[in-house]
Amino acid sequence: MLRNLLFGGAALAVLAGAAFWFLTRPEGIGSSALAAVGPGDATRGERIFWAGGCASCHARPEAEGERLLELSGGLELETAFGTFVAPNISPDPAQGIGEWDESVFVNAMLHGVSPEGKHYYPAFPYPSYARMETQDVLDLFAYLKTLPPAAEETAPHRLSFPYTMRRGIGLWKLIYMHEEPLVELPADAPEAVLRGRYLVEGPGHCGECHTPRSFAGGLQFERWLAGAPALEGDGRVPNITPSSAGIGSWSVADITYYLESGFTPDFDSVGGEMVAVQKNMARLPEEDRAAIAAYLKAVPEVEGE
Amino acid sequence: MKRLAISLSALLVSSVAVVAADDPIAVRQSLMQAVAGAAGASGGMLKGEIDYNPVVAKAAIATLYGVSQAYGDYFPEGSQNGDTDAAPEIWEDMEGFHNALADFQADAAAAFEAAGKDGPADLAAFKAAVQPVLSNCRDCHESFRIQDD
Repeated sequence: MLRNLLFGGAALAVLAGAAFWFLTRPEGIGSSALAAVGPGDATRGERIFWAGGCASCHARPEAEGERLLELSGGLELETAFGTFVAPNISPDPAQGIGEWDESVFVNAMLHGVSPEGKHYYPAFPYPSYARMETQDVLDLFAYLKTLPPAAEETAPHRLSFPYTMRRGIGLWKLIYMHEEPLVELPADAPEAVLRGRYLVEGPGHCGECHTPRSFAGGLQFERWLAGAPALEGDGRVPNITPSSAGIGSWSVADITYYLESGFTPDFDSVGGEMVAVQKNMARLPEEDRAAIAAYLKAVPEVEGE
Repeated sequence: MKRLAISLSALLVSSVAVVAADDPIAVRQSLMQAVAGAAGASGGMLKGEIDYNPVVAKAAIATLYGVSQAYGDYFPEGSQNGDTDAAPEIWEDMEGFHNALADFQADAAAAFEAAGKDGPADLAAFKAAVQPVLSNCRDCHESFRIQDD
Protein backbone atom coordinates (compact mmCIF):
# COMPACT_ATOMS: atom_id res chain seq x y z
CA MET A 1 0.00 0.00 0.00
CA LEU A 2 2.71 2.40 1.05
CA ARG A 3 4.73 1.37 -1.96
CA ASN A 4 1.78 2.04 -4.24
CA LEU A 5 1.30 5.44 -2.69
CA LEU A 6 4.96 6.29 -3.06
CA PHE A 7 4.93 5.09 -6.62
CA GLY A 8 1.79 7.09 -7.38
CA GLY A 9 3.32 10.21 -5.79
CA ALA A 10 6.49 9.85 -7.81
CA ALA A 11 4.50 9.35 -11.00
CA LEU A 12 2.47 12.49 -10.24
CA ALA A 13 5.64 14.48 -9.60
CA VAL A 14 7.08 13.31 -12.90
CA LEU A 15 3.84 14.19 -14.68
CA ALA A 16 3.73 17.62 -13.05
CA GLY A 17 7.34 18.19 -14.00
CA ALA A 18 6.64 17.15 -17.56
CA ALA A 19 3.61 19.43 -17.69
CA PHE A 20 5.68 22.32 -16.33
CA TRP A 21 8.39 21.62 -18.86
CA PHE A 22 5.85 21.48 -21.67
CA LEU A 23 3.92 24.59 -20.61
CA THR A 24 7.01 26.70 -20.04
CA ARG A 25 8.93 25.80 -23.21
CA PRO A 26 10.12 28.88 -25.10
CA GLU A 27 8.12 28.93 -28.31
CA GLY A 28 9.01 31.01 -31.31
CA ILE A 29 8.57 30.82 -35.02
CA GLY A 30 10.69 29.26 -37.73
CA SER A 31 12.23 31.37 -40.48
CA SER A 32 9.69 30.06 -43.04
CA ALA A 33 6.84 31.76 -41.16
CA LEU A 34 7.97 35.17 -42.40
CA ALA A 35 7.58 34.32 -46.08
CA ALA A 36 4.11 35.88 -46.20
CA VAL A 37 5.33 39.25 -44.89
CA GLY A 38 7.09 41.81 -47.04
CA PRO A 39 10.72 42.83 -46.58
CA GLY A 40 11.45 45.37 -43.86
CA ASP A 41 11.46 49.06 -44.78
CA ALA A 42 13.93 51.17 -42.79
CA THR A 43 12.06 54.45 -43.35
CA ARG A 44 8.86 53.07 -41.90
CA GLY A 45 10.94 51.41 -39.20
CA GLU A 46 12.25 54.74 -37.95
CA ARG A 47 8.69 55.72 -36.98
CA ILE A 48 8.36 52.49 -35.00
CA PHE A 49 11.74 53.15 -33.39
CA TRP A 50 10.55 56.45 -31.90
CA ALA A 51 7.10 55.13 -31.06
CA GLY A 52 8.78 52.33 -29.11
CA GLY A 53 11.32 54.59 -27.46
CA CYS A 54 14.04 51.96 -28.00
CA ALA A 55 16.78 54.52 -27.41
CA SER A 56 15.52 55.38 -23.93
CA CYS A 57 16.82 52.05 -22.63
CA HIS A 58 19.25 50.85 -25.30
CA ALA A 59 21.25 54.02 -26.01
CA ARG A 60 24.34 54.67 -23.93
CA PRO A 61 23.13 56.13 -20.60
CA GLU A 62 22.86 59.98 -20.72
CA ALA A 63 23.14 60.07 -24.53
CA GLU A 64 21.42 62.97 -26.33
CA GLY A 65 20.74 63.96 -29.93
CA GLU A 66 22.42 61.89 -32.65
CA ARG A 67 24.11 59.69 -30.07
CA LEU A 68 20.72 58.26 -29.17
CA LEU A 69 21.20 56.16 -32.30
CA GLU A 70 24.22 54.32 -30.87
CA LEU A 71 22.45 51.44 -29.15
CA SER A 72 25.32 50.21 -27.01
CA GLY A 73 23.07 49.28 -24.09
CA GLY A 74 24.37 49.55 -20.55
CA LEU A 75 21.47 51.25 -18.79
CA GLU A 76 20.75 49.56 -15.47
CA LEU A 77 17.20 49.11 -14.20
CA GLU A 78 17.14 48.55 -10.47
CA THR A 79 13.92 46.74 -9.65
CA ALA A 80 12.50 44.63 -6.85
CA PHE A 81 13.62 41.53 -8.77
CA GLY A 82 17.23 42.66 -9.12
CA THR A 83 19.23 44.75 -11.57
CA PHE A 84 18.54 44.35 -15.28
CA VAL A 85 21.08 45.62 -17.79
CA ALA A 86 19.81 46.80 -21.18
CA PRO A 87 21.76 44.94 -23.88
CA ASN A 88 23.66 46.18 -26.91
CA ILE A 89 21.24 46.06 -29.88
CA SER A 90 23.46 47.93 -32.32
CA PRO A 91 24.38 46.16 -35.57
CA ASP A 92 27.79 45.21 -34.16
CA PRO A 93 28.24 41.56 -35.20
CA ALA A 94 30.07 40.51 -32.03
CA GLN A 95 28.33 42.51 -29.27
CA GLY A 96 25.08 43.61 -30.88
CA ILE A 97 22.51 42.00 -33.15
CA GLY A 98 24.48 42.22 -36.41
CA GLU A 99 24.39 38.45 -36.85
CA TRP A 100 20.66 38.14 -36.24
CA ASP A 101 18.25 37.34 -39.04
CA GLU A 102 14.64 38.45 -39.26
CA SER A 103 13.18 35.39 -37.57
CA VAL A 104 15.53 35.77 -34.59
CA PHE A 105 14.47 39.40 -34.19
CA VAL A 106 10.77 38.55 -34.52
CA ASN A 107 11.12 35.83 -31.90
CA ALA A 108 12.71 38.31 -29.52
CA MET A 109 10.14 41.05 -30.07
CA LEU A 110 6.90 39.10 -30.40
CA HIS A 111 7.64 35.97 -28.36
CA GLY A 112 10.25 37.08 -25.83
CA VAL A 113 12.58 34.27 -26.89
CA SER A 114 16.34 34.73 -27.30
CA PRO A 115 18.50 33.41 -30.18
CA GLU A 116 19.54 30.59 -27.81
CA GLY A 117 15.89 29.64 -27.37
CA LYS A 118 15.58 30.97 -23.81
CA HIS A 119 12.92 33.23 -22.32
CA TYR A 120 13.82 36.88 -22.01
CA TYR A 121 12.96 38.64 -18.77
CA PRO A 122 9.95 40.91 -19.25
CA ALA A 123 12.04 43.93 -18.20
CA PHE A 124 12.31 43.91 -21.99
CA PRO A 125 8.66 44.86 -22.61
CA TYR A 126 7.84 42.14 -25.15
CA PRO A 127 4.47 41.48 -23.47
CA SER A 128 3.47 44.79 -25.11
CA TYR A 129 5.40 44.19 -28.33
CA ALA A 130 3.55 40.87 -28.71
CA ARG A 131 0.62 42.99 -29.94
CA MET A 132 2.66 44.48 -32.79
CA GLU A 133 2.23 43.73 -36.47
CA THR A 134 4.99 41.47 -37.80
CA GLN A 135 5.53 43.91 -40.67
CA ASP A 136 6.28 46.72 -38.20
CA VAL A 137 8.80 44.50 -36.41
CA LEU A 138 10.57 43.76 -39.70
CA ASP A 139 10.56 47.47 -40.58
CA LEU A 140 12.11 48.24 -37.21
CA PHE A 141 14.75 45.57 -37.76
CA ALA A 142 15.62 47.10 -41.15
CA TYR A 143 16.00 50.50 -39.47
CA LEU A 144 18.19 49.16 -36.64
CA LYS A 145 20.50 47.70 -39.29
CA THR A 146 21.20 51.23 -40.58
CA LEU A 147 22.43 52.53 -37.20
CA PRO A 148 26.09 52.75 -36.16
CA PRO A 149 27.65 49.70 -34.51
CA ALA A 150 28.75 49.96 -30.87
CA ALA A 151 31.44 47.66 -29.48
CA GLU A 152 30.44 47.56 -25.80
CA GLU A 153 29.95 44.15 -24.29
CA THR A 154 26.68 43.81 -22.40
CA ALA A 155 27.06 43.06 -18.70
CA PRO A 156 24.85 40.25 -17.31
CA HIS A 157 21.74 40.95 -15.25
CA ARG A 158 22.27 40.77 -11.51
CA LEU A 159 19.34 38.83 -10.09
CA SER A 160 18.84 36.65 -7.06
CA PHE A 161 17.15 33.24 -6.77
CA PRO A 162 14.43 32.34 -7.78
CA TYR A 163 14.47 35.01 -10.50
CA THR A 164 17.58 33.44 -11.97
CA MET A 165 15.37 30.55 -13.16
CA ARG A 166 14.32 31.65 -16.62
CA ARG A 167 12.17 28.63 -17.26
CA GLY A 168 9.56 29.96 -14.83
CA ILE A 169 9.01 32.91 -17.15
CA GLY A 170 7.18 30.45 -19.40
CA LEU A 171 4.37 30.21 -16.83
CA TRP A 172 4.42 33.96 -16.36
CA LYS A 173 3.92 34.41 -20.10
CA LEU A 174 0.86 32.16 -20.07
CA ILE A 175 -0.78 34.47 -17.54
CA TYR A 176 0.43 37.91 -18.55
CA MET A 177 1.23 37.86 -22.26
CA HIS A 178 -1.57 38.38 -24.75
CA GLU A 179 -1.47 39.22 -28.42
CA GLU A 180 -5.03 40.55 -28.44
CA PRO A 181 -5.79 44.23 -27.78
CA LEU A 182 -6.54 45.00 -24.14
CA VAL A 183 -9.26 47.60 -24.48
CA GLU A 184 -12.25 46.39 -26.43
CA LEU A 185 -13.47 48.94 -28.92
CA PRO A 186 -16.56 48.89 -31.12
CA ALA A 187 -15.97 47.69 -34.67
CA ASP A 188 -16.88 51.15 -35.98
CA ALA A 189 -14.50 52.99 -33.63
CA PRO A 190 -12.75 55.92 -35.34
CA GLU A 191 -9.54 55.08 -37.17
CA ALA A 192 -7.53 57.35 -34.83
CA VAL A 193 -8.70 55.50 -31.70
CA LEU A 194 -7.76 52.14 -33.24
CA ARG A 195 -4.37 53.46 -34.31
CA GLY A 196 -3.88 54.93 -30.83
CA ARG A 197 -4.74 51.60 -29.23
CA TYR A 198 -2.12 49.91 -31.36
CA LEU A 199 0.54 52.51 -30.52
CA VAL A 200 -0.18 52.62 -26.77
CA GLU A 201 -0.77 48.91 -26.13
CA GLY A 202 1.86 47.69 -28.60
CA PRO A 203 5.07 49.48 -29.58
CA GLY A 204 4.59 52.45 -27.20
CA HIS A 205 4.32 50.01 -24.23
CA CYS A 206 2.81 52.83 -22.11
CA GLY A 207 1.14 50.35 -19.76
CA GLU A 208 4.47 48.92 -18.64
CA CYS A 209 4.99 51.98 -16.42
CA HIS A 210 1.48 53.47 -16.11
CA THR A 211 -0.24 50.25 -14.96
CA PRO A 212 0.33 48.71 -11.51
CA ARG A 213 1.81 45.22 -11.26
CA SER A 214 0.94 42.14 -9.26
CA PHE A 215 3.40 40.53 -6.84
CA ALA A 216 4.63 38.44 -9.76
CA GLY A 217 5.42 41.53 -11.82
CA GLY A 218 2.57 41.16 -14.29
CA LEU A 219 0.27 44.03 -15.20
CA GLN A 220 -3.04 44.35 -13.33
CA PHE A 221 -5.17 44.72 -16.44
CA GLU A 222 -8.26 45.87 -14.49
CA ARG A 223 -6.28 48.97 -13.52
CA TRP A 224 -4.99 49.59 -17.03
CA LEU A 225 -3.10 52.92 -17.20
CA ALA A 226 -4.39 53.93 -13.75
CA GLY A 227 -0.97 54.88 -12.38
CA ALA A 228 1.56 52.86 -10.43
CA PRO A 229 4.56 53.06 -8.15
CA ALA A 230 7.66 53.79 -10.21
CA LEU A 231 9.61 50.65 -11.08
CA GLU A 232 12.75 52.42 -9.93
CA GLY A 233 13.00 54.69 -6.90
CA ASP A 234 10.02 55.74 -4.79
CA GLY A 235 8.17 58.05 -7.17
CA ARG A 236 4.77 57.47 -8.72
CA VAL A 237 3.76 57.20 -12.35
CA PRO A 238 0.50 59.08 -12.95
CA ASN A 239 -2.97 57.80 -13.78
CA ILE A 240 -3.60 58.59 -17.47
CA THR A 241 -7.15 57.24 -17.73
CA PRO A 242 -9.89 59.82 -18.41
CA SER A 243 -11.04 59.87 -14.76
CA SER A 244 -10.90 62.73 -12.27
CA ALA A 245 -7.83 61.09 -10.71
CA GLY A 246 -6.30 60.82 -14.17
CA ILE A 247 -6.32 63.21 -17.08
CA GLY A 248 -10.06 63.44 -17.59
CA SER A 249 -9.83 67.22 -17.68
CA TRP A 250 -7.34 67.16 -20.57
CA SER A 251 -8.76 67.56 -24.07
CA VAL A 252 -7.51 65.58 -27.06
CA ALA A 253 -5.70 68.76 -28.13
CA ASP A 254 -4.12 69.05 -24.66
CA ILE A 255 -2.74 65.50 -24.79
CA THR A 256 -1.54 65.88 -28.37
CA TYR A 257 0.23 69.15 -27.55
CA TYR A 258 1.75 67.69 -24.38
CA LEU A 259 3.28 64.83 -26.37
CA GLU A 260 4.64 67.29 -28.92
CA SER A 261 5.86 70.10 -26.65
CA GLY A 262 6.10 68.74 -23.12
CA PHE A 263 3.62 71.29 -21.75
CA THR A 264 0.73 70.27 -19.52
CA PRO A 265 -2.58 72.15 -19.87
CA ASP A 266 -1.58 74.43 -16.97
CA PHE A 267 1.72 75.13 -18.75
CA ASP A 268 3.99 73.27 -16.48
CA SER A 269 6.67 71.26 -18.23
CA VAL A 270 7.02 67.49 -18.42
CA GLY A 271 9.34 65.95 -15.80
CA GLY A 272 11.04 62.79 -14.65
CA GLU A 273 11.15 59.64 -16.76
CA MET A 274 8.49 61.08 -19.07
CA VAL A 275 10.93 63.66 -20.47
CA ALA A 276 12.71 61.09 -22.63
CA VAL A 277 9.39 59.53 -23.64
CA GLN A 278 7.95 62.90 -24.65
CA LYS A 279 11.04 63.72 -26.72
CA ASN A 280 10.53 60.43 -28.57
CA MET A 281 6.84 61.19 -29.10
CA ALA A 282 7.78 64.61 -30.49
CA ARG A 283 9.50 62.79 -33.38
CA LEU A 284 6.32 61.02 -34.45
CA PRO A 285 3.98 62.38 -37.10
CA GLU A 286 1.25 64.61 -35.64
CA GLU A 287 -1.39 62.02 -36.59
CA ASP A 288 0.22 59.45 -34.28
CA ARG A 289 0.22 61.82 -31.30
CA ALA A 290 -3.41 62.69 -32.03
CA ALA A 291 -4.21 58.96 -32.25
CA ILE A 292 -2.64 58.29 -28.86
CA ALA A 293 -4.68 61.16 -27.42
CA ALA A 294 -7.90 59.83 -28.96
CA TYR A 295 -7.27 56.39 -27.46
CA LEU A 296 -6.47 57.79 -24.02
CA LYS A 297 -9.88 59.48 -24.02
CA ALA A 298 -11.50 56.14 -24.92
CA VAL A 299 -9.99 53.81 -22.29
CA PRO A 300 -12.04 52.89 -19.18
CA GLU A 301 -11.98 55.52 -16.44
CA VAL A 302 -10.24 54.27 -13.32
CA GLU A 303 -10.17 56.30 -10.12
CA GLY A 304 -7.45 56.29 -7.49
CA GLU A 305 -3.71 56.86 -7.38
CA MET B 1 -5.22 95.07 -30.31
CA LYS B 2 -1.62 96.22 -30.45
CA ARG B 3 -2.33 98.47 -27.49
CA LEU B 4 -3.71 95.50 -25.64
CA ALA B 5 -0.57 93.50 -26.30
CA ILE B 6 1.65 96.33 -25.21
CA SER B 7 -0.30 96.88 -22.02
CA LEU B 8 -0.26 93.10 -21.49
CA SER B 9 3.53 93.11 -21.70
CA ALA B 10 3.67 96.12 -19.43
CA LEU B 11 1.42 94.35 -16.97
CA LEU B 12 3.65 91.31 -16.92
CA VAL B 13 6.71 93.45 -16.33
CA SER B 14 5.06 95.67 -13.71
CA SER B 15 3.85 92.64 -11.78
CA VAL B 16 7.53 91.93 -11.36
CA ALA B 17 8.26 95.44 -10.21
CA VAL B 18 5.84 95.35 -7.27
CA VAL B 19 7.65 92.41 -5.72
CA ALA B 20 10.15 93.46 -3.11
CA ALA B 21 13.50 93.72 -4.88
CA ASP B 22 15.30 92.18 -1.92
CA ASP B 23 13.38 88.93 -2.21
CA PRO B 24 15.00 87.07 -5.14
CA ILE B 25 12.78 84.01 -4.67
CA ALA B 26 9.62 86.09 -5.12
CA VAL B 27 11.08 87.92 -8.12
CA ARG B 28 12.18 84.82 -9.98
CA GLN B 29 8.86 83.10 -9.26
CA SER B 30 6.97 86.05 -10.71
CA LEU B 31 9.22 85.90 -13.77
CA MET B 32 8.30 82.24 -14.20
CA GLN B 33 4.62 83.21 -13.93
CA ALA B 34 5.21 85.60 -16.82
CA VAL B 35 6.75 82.73 -18.81
CA ALA B 36 3.81 80.48 -17.95
CA GLY B 37 1.45 83.18 -19.22
CA ALA B 38 3.41 83.47 -22.46
CA ALA B 39 3.53 79.68 -22.83
CA GLY B 40 -0.23 79.59 -22.20
CA ALA B 41 -1.00 82.12 -24.92
CA SER B 42 1.39 80.33 -27.28
CA GLY B 43 -0.02 76.91 -26.54
CA GLY B 44 -3.59 78.12 -26.92
CA MET B 45 -2.83 79.25 -30.47
CA LEU B 46 -0.71 76.21 -31.32
CA LYS B 47 -3.48 73.90 -30.10
CA GLY B 48 -6.07 75.83 -32.09
CA GLU B 49 -8.03 76.89 -29.00
CA ILE B 50 -7.37 80.57 -29.75
CA ASP B 51 -7.26 82.01 -33.27
CA TYR B 52 -3.79 82.95 -34.33
CA ASN B 53 -3.02 86.61 -33.78
CA PRO B 54 0.44 88.02 -34.62
CA VAL B 55 0.20 90.71 -31.94
CA VAL B 56 -0.45 88.19 -29.20
CA ALA B 57 2.31 86.02 -30.65
CA LYS B 58 4.69 88.95 -30.54
CA ALA B 59 3.71 89.72 -26.93
CA ALA B 60 4.40 86.12 -25.94
CA ILE B 61 7.79 86.09 -27.63
CA ALA B 62 8.71 89.49 -26.19
CA THR B 63 7.84 88.25 -22.70
CA LEU B 64 10.02 85.16 -23.14
CA TYR B 65 12.83 87.32 -24.45
CA GLY B 66 12.61 89.82 -21.62
CA VAL B 67 12.50 87.15 -18.91
CA SER B 68 15.42 85.30 -20.46
CA GLN B 69 17.54 88.44 -20.08
CA ALA B 70 16.62 89.08 -16.44
CA TYR B 71 16.01 85.67 -14.94
CA GLY B 72 19.58 84.69 -14.12
CA ASP B 73 20.04 87.72 -11.84
CA TYR B 74 17.82 86.29 -9.11
CA PHE B 75 19.82 83.31 -7.89
CA PRO B 76 22.26 84.83 -5.38
CA GLU B 77 24.09 82.59 -2.92
CA GLY B 78 21.73 81.85 -0.02
CA SER B 79 18.54 82.03 -2.08
CA GLN B 80 18.46 78.23 -2.32
CA ASN B 81 16.95 78.35 1.17
CA GLY B 82 13.28 79.17 1.48
CA ASP B 83 10.00 78.30 -0.18
CA THR B 84 11.46 77.45 -3.56
CA ASP B 85 11.46 74.69 -6.18
CA ALA B 86 14.85 75.81 -7.43
CA ALA B 87 17.08 72.74 -7.15
CA PRO B 88 20.37 72.79 -5.21
CA GLU B 89 22.02 71.79 -8.51
CA ILE B 90 21.81 75.45 -9.55
CA TRP B 91 24.30 76.46 -6.90
CA GLU B 92 26.33 73.26 -7.13
CA ASP B 93 26.70 73.63 -10.89
CA MET B 94 26.38 77.37 -11.53
CA GLU B 95 28.24 77.00 -14.82
CA GLY B 96 25.78 74.39 -16.08
CA PHE B 97 22.88 76.59 -15.00
CA HIS B 98 24.33 79.58 -16.84
CA ASN B 99 24.82 77.42 -19.94
CA ALA B 100 21.16 76.42 -19.80
CA LEU B 101 20.24 80.07 -19.32
CA ALA B 102 22.41 81.06 -22.29
CA ASP B 103 20.51 78.56 -24.47
CA PHE B 104 17.22 80.10 -23.35
CA GLN B 105 18.54 83.60 -24.09
CA ALA B 106 19.87 82.66 -27.52
CA ASP B 107 16.66 80.90 -28.56
CA ALA B 108 14.51 83.75 -27.22
CA ALA B 109 16.63 86.38 -28.98
CA ALA B 110 16.36 84.46 -32.26
CA ALA B 111 12.59 84.24 -31.88
CA PHE B 112 12.35 87.93 -31.04
CA GLU B 113 14.38 88.73 -34.16
CA ALA B 114 12.23 86.41 -36.29
CA ALA B 115 9.03 87.94 -34.94
CA GLY B 116 9.92 91.29 -36.50
CA LYS B 117 8.02 94.46 -35.83
CA ASP B 118 4.53 93.05 -36.38
CA GLY B 119 4.91 89.50 -35.07
CA PRO B 120 5.20 86.24 -37.05
CA ALA B 121 3.04 86.34 -40.18
CA ASP B 122 1.22 83.08 -39.60
CA LEU B 123 0.88 80.17 -37.20
CA ALA B 124 3.56 78.10 -38.95
CA ALA B 125 6.07 80.94 -38.66
CA PHE B 126 5.14 81.46 -35.01
CA LYS B 127 5.52 77.76 -34.28
CA ALA B 128 8.95 77.67 -35.90
CA ALA B 129 10.04 80.69 -33.87
CA VAL B 130 8.58 79.88 -30.45
CA GLN B 131 8.96 76.14 -30.10
CA PRO B 132 12.74 76.15 -29.67
CA VAL B 133 12.32 78.76 -26.92
CA LEU B 134 9.64 76.75 -25.12
CA SER B 135 11.68 73.55 -25.24
CA ASN B 136 14.08 75.26 -22.83
CA CYS B 137 11.45 75.01 -20.07
CA ARG B 138 11.56 71.22 -20.05
CA ASP B 139 15.31 70.96 -20.52
CA CYS B 140 16.18 73.38 -17.72
CA HIS B 141 13.54 72.07 -15.32
CA GLU B 142 14.84 68.55 -15.84
CA SER B 143 18.20 69.45 -14.31
CA PHE B 144 17.55 72.47 -12.17
CA ARG B 145 14.08 72.22 -10.67
CA ILE B 146 13.13 69.97 -7.75
CA GLN B 147 11.24 66.99 -9.17
CA ASP B 148 7.86 66.64 -7.52
CA ASP B 149 7.49 62.91 -8.07
